[in-house]
Amino acid sequence: MNDLFTRISERLSMDLDHPSPAVKQSATAIAVVAAAVLTLLVPGLGFSSTTVAVAGIGIIAFATLVSLVFTRFDNLEHYALLIPVIDLFGLGAFRAGTGGTASLWGSLIILPVVWLAAAEGRRFIAYAGVGTSIALMTPYIISLTWPQTPGELLRGFFTPLVFAVAAAIVNELARQSRKQLRSIKGLAEEKERMLQRTVEYAAQLQESEAKYRAFDRMFRGVWAAVTEQSVIGTDATGLVDAWNPGATKILGPTAEQAEDKLHIFDFHLPDELEERARELNYPPGETVLNPGFSALVETARLGQAESREWTYVRSDGTHVPVQLSVTKRVDEEGRTRGYLFVASDVTQAREVARLKDEFVGLISHELRTPLSSILGYLELMRDDEDNPLSEEHLQYLGVAERNAHRLLRLVGDLLFTAQVESGKFPLDSRMVPLDSIVTAALESARPVADTAGIQLVQKLPDVPAVVHGDPVRLGQAVDNLISNAIKFTPRGGTVTLALEVTADKAVITVRDTGMGIAESELDKLFSRFFRATTATRNAVPGVGLGLTITKAIVTAHHGEMGVESEEGVGTCFSMTLPLSAVVAAV
Amino acid sequence: MTTVVVADDDQDIRSLVSIAVRKAGLDLVASVSDGALALEAILKHRPDLAILDVSMPEMTGLEVCRAVRGDTSIGDVRILLLSASVDEASQAIGIEAGADYFLAKPFSPRELASWLSVGKEPR
Repeated sequence: MNDLFTRISERLSMDLDHPSPAVKQSATAIAVVAAAVLTLLVPGLGFSSTTVAVAGIGIIAFATLVSLVFTRFDNLEHYALLIPVIDLFGLGAFRAGTGGTASLWGSLIILPVVWLAAAEGRRFIAYAGVGTSIALMTPYIISLTWPQTPGELLRGFFTPLVFAVAAAIVNELARQSRKQLRSIKGLAEEKERMLQRTVEYAAQLQESEAKYRAFDRMFRGVWAAVTEQSVIGTDATGLVDAWNPGATKILGPTAEQAEDKLHIFDFHLPDELEERARELNYPPGETVLNPGFSALVETARLGQAESREWTYVRSDGTHVPVQLSVTKRVDEEGRTRGYLFVASDVTQAREVARLKDEFVGLISHELRTPLSSILGYLELMRDDEDNPLSEEHLQYLGVAERNAHRLLRLVGDLLFTAQVESGKFPLDSRMVPLDSIVTAALESARPVADTAGIQLVQKLPDVPAVVHGDPVRLGQAVDNLISNAIKFTPRGGTVTLALEVTADKAVITVRDTGMGIAESELDKLFSRFFRATTATRNAVPGVGLGLTITKAIVTAHHGEMGVESEEGVGTCFSMTLPLSAVVAAV
Repeated sequence: MTTVVVADDDQDIRSLVSIAVRKAGLDLVASVSDGALALEAILKHRPDLAILDVSMPEMTGLEVCRAVRGDTSIGDVRILLLSASVDEASQAIGIEAGADYFLAKPFSPRELASWLSVGKEPR
C-alpha cells in the first residue's frame, strides 16, 4: 500500500517538476473542448463556419495525439515544440470557424504561445510572435483575401506584438528560473560531492584508525610479553622513557618508578663504563654530561649495532651479568632521538659454561691420573735392571706405551678445545722465530715419516720470520698439519713444509701428495669431530680434533687458515700469521 | 740423608713417587693419602723435601703449601707440587703458594729419580 503511494507520489512529483508534452498540451486540449461545447450551448454564440472550426478542433486533436506519442517516446522530446506550433494553426482555424476577428476564443492562442515562449532561447519569442500572427491571419489565409480595413490588418500585427512582448517576458522569466534552477542544481551536486568526499574520508580515517589500534594492541602485547629480556628506551641523554616488564624483573624498579626519573647509567657499574670510555678514548657523543654514557652508546650513535657483556646493578645493589644490545632511535628526519637497550640475563649461561669447564677439567684430571700410573709403571718395567725383558716383551710394552700416549694426547686436545670454546685460552706471548718452529716440527715428524716411507721436504726463506705468539701452541699447530699430511699420504709420497715471508705476513704451507679431500667437505674441515670421507674410508686413525685445534691456535694469533685440495692429487694447508711489528720495523 | 714426605690420594701414584725417591737414594720418612695427614707428617718429621699432589682430600696441596710457608716454626722445607693440570696458570698459582718446583702428570719416574738425586744437593 505504502509502496503504491510512494510510487504515485514519485510519479506525480516527476510530472510536476518536469511536465511531459501531454500534460502541457492538456491545457489547450481541454480549453478547446470547453470552447466548442460553450459555442454549441450558449445562445448568441455559434460557428461562423462549422467546417473550419471542426478542422481547427481536428488539428488540436492531432496535436494532442502527437503530444501523447512524444510523451510515450522520450527520445522525441526534442521535437515537442512542434506541438504548440500545430496548436497555433489549430487555434487559428478554430477562431476563424467561430467568428473570425469577432470570435470569443482568440485569447486561447496565449496557451501555445506561452509554451513556445517558455522554451529555452530568445528565438522562441519571435516564433511565438510569428505563430500568433499566422494564427490571427488564418481567416484571411483560408479565404485567400486581404484584410479590408486598416483595423483588420492592424489586428493581425498588433495582437501578435502584444503576445510577443508577453512571450518575451515569459521567456525571460523562464530563462531566469532555469538559470536559478541550474545553479541550485549545481550547488546541490556540489554539496552531494562534498558530502560523498567527507564520507569517504571518514571511512579512510576509520580504517587507518583501526589499523593503528591493531598495531598498538600488537605492540603492547609484545612489549608486555617480553619478560625475560629487559627493554629500556632512553632519550639522547640517557633518561629512561620506556621500561618493559622484563626490565622490572631483571632490575627491580617498575615502569612508573623508572620512566622520566632514572637514567640508564644508574644501572651500570661505574667502573665498567669508565673502562669502556678509556678503551674508546673518551668519545665525545652528542652530550658531554657523562663520558660513561657516551661510551655505552658510542657504537650505536655511529649507526652500528653492538652487543657486548655488561654488568647491570639492580636497585638493591646486587649485580647481574647481561648481554646488552644498544641501538639508536631516530625521528622522521633521521636525528637521534635516543637509544634502545635490550639485555638478557646471562647468569645462567655463565653458570652453565662454568660447570662445563669444571666438568672438562675434572674429566681430564681423572683421566690423566690413571694414565700417569700406566705410563709410570710401564717405564719402571722397562727400566727394571734386575729382571730384564725379552725383545718381544719390550715390543709389547712399546705398543702399550704408544697407546697410552695417544690417549693422553686426546685428553689434552679435549681439554684444549673446551678452553677454546669457553674463550679461556692460555697463550704465552713472546717473539717466536718461525723457522725454528718449522724445523723442530719437521725433525720430530721424521721418524714417523721414515716408517711410513714418505719423503719430507723443507723450504725456508732467507729472511727471518718472527711472529708474536706462543711457541708451544704454534709448534702444536704445525705438528698437527704435518702429522695429518703424513697420515693421509700413501707410501712413496712427499710432504713439503714451506715457510714464506711477505711484507707483513708469514705463510707456512704443508703440501702432501695424498688422497685429498672432497670439495664439498672443505668448509666442514675445521669443525670439531669432523672426519673427511677419505679419512674414514681409508681407516686413517683420529677423532677429528686436530684441525679444530690448529685453526683455534692460528685464529688466536690473529692469523688465517686456508686449504686447497684435489682428490687423488693432494692437499695443501696454509697458516698465514702477521709478522711481529717490532721485528718488521727493524 | 735427605728426608722426604710424599702425599697423594692415588695410591698407585704414591707408590710410583716412593719408588723414584728410593731409587734416588733418599730417605722416605712418610707416605700419606691426604693433605691434612701431609701437614701432620711435615710437622712431625721436618723433612728436607715434601712431594705433594695438588688435588687431595681434606687439604689440597696448595693449602698445605701455604700452611707450611705460613708457619715460621717449620724450617726450610722444599716443596714439589704434582699436578694433572698442564697449563701455566696453575703452575704459577703453585709457585705463588710457595712451592719450589712443579711437576705435571704424567711424569717419568726415571726422570723424577734423576732430578731427585741432583736435587738432594743443597740449593
